[in-house]
Amino acid sequence: MLNTPKVLEAIGISLHVSFVSTLFAFFLSIFFGYLIATRKFFLKKYIVSFLGSLTSIPPVCAGLIVYLIISRSGPLGWMELLYTPLAMIIAQFIIIFPIMITLIINYIEREYPQLKDELISYGASQKDILFLLITNQKGIYLTTLLIGFGRAISEYGAAAIVGGSIDHVTRNMTAMIALETAKGNILIGVILGAILISISLIISFGINYFKNDD
Amino acid sequence: MIKPKIVFLIITLFLSNVFARDYIIVQSTTSTANTGLLDLLSKEFFQDTGIEVRAVAVGTGTALANAKKGDGDVLMVHSKIDEIKFVQDGFGVKRFDLMYNDFVIVGPDNDPAKIKDKKNISEVMKILSNPNYKFISRDDFSGTHKKELSLWYESGISIPIDNSYIKSGSGMASTINIANEMQSYTLTDRGTWIAFQNKNNLDILFEKDKSLFNPYGIIAISPKKFPHVEYEKSNRFIEWLLKGRGNYIISNFTIEDQKLFFTYN
Repeated sequence: MLNTPKVLEAIGISLHVSFVSTLFAFFLSIFFGYLIATRKFFLKKYIVSFLGSLTSIPPVCAGLIVYLIISRSGPLGWMELLYTPLAMIIAQFIIIFPIMITLIINYIEREYPQLKDELISYGASQKDILFLLITNQKGIYLTTLLIGFGRAISEYGAAAIVGGSIDHVTRNMTAMIALETAKGNILIGVILGAILISISLIISFGINYFKNDD
Repeated sequence: MIKPKIVFLIITLFLSNVFARDYIIVQSTTSTANTGLLDLLSKEFFQDTGIEVRAVAVGTGTALANAKKGDGDVLMVHSKIDEIKFVQDGFGVKRFDLMYNDFVIVGPDNDPAKIKDKKNISEVMKILSNPNYKFISRDDFSGTHKKELSLWYESGISIPIDNSYIKSGSGMASTINIANEMQSYTLTDRGTWIAFQNKNNLDILFEKDKSLFNPYGIIAISPKKFPHVEYEKSNRFIEWLLKGRGNYIISNFTIEDQKLFFTYN
């Protein structure tokens, strides 16, 4: 009843797309999050608020925005990104980046002022401070990774629109659940959903395991 | 502070897209996808020719819109009027008859509206327009929805505007599920119906009127209008479907021993 090779393929595509989008969003969150949190600049409050508001962008909207840009009739149509895993990565990135950077900014704004004074008195440079912020408090960063990844792997709408749910190529777990439900295979949809949650559970356990090793 | 590894990852990801286009994109309908036919044809064509088929199942209305924006190489839908216009307007090269099946009216097996013994579709539509019987419409410009609208039109009945006419605005599966929950009638293509696994107590109550004929067409998107299309590969796919092994696969595609699609030769 359950086509195992196809399910494994879908799991692989979900993991690939969501891992890459999460890592990509993670590093950019740290980089820009640190810059935004530690500096005062014109429009800072507005930019931070705007990023905060983007945390509730509906996945379908993120998908549509990317679709309009990478469609043949759009500005980046010549790159032929539509219906590829890379398009899915970009769409998921747009959803999770605001969430992750908001978490990072909040954390750094809280920790940085006291840490900065302490460390500068010891002669630390900007790079040193950032390095210590990351390595000393693994917790917040692992949590950010987890939240970003959870959001990415569970979303349906963004990756489906720009990926096209194509067999072997862009049909990830959530797209497969939608397809099986559309065929009337409600039970299969539920089973696939359970598999997806189990995978998230394993990854969450893994991350929290490292967290407690602090 | 941007890690070099990330830059490398980005570059490889982009490069993998820049050089390859050994696949064709087919804009198609949910009825061909939900039956499993599209996946099968893609797999078999790749085996025969090495050309990958990326079939996107979005519904007739969306497929047409996408194709008009150049987001595909081949169009495979079931709305003949729109397909002919598509070619006339220069978006497609030529329309070919690909395959056909029919639409059926499904409803609760006790058939409260008593449409089972009616002789033609006009009688059936007239009865279903009665506010005592609920009818679910796709309301999404899909091939099925367009057929439904034409049935009302052909029968000379204005589309009901009371609560017994329900617009699901969603796909065939969702619509059938609503029909089941609300014990009402709806129009579906036979292929989706045969493949559908959640029929509950719904059953085919009316079929085989010639107005319920459901032809699928296939069109190569015009390289004149969109120079980037894989025209040669698209033509190979179309030929394979019309005269090659694809034709055989379509006509031998069965679910539970029932044929879902019929070919013209």
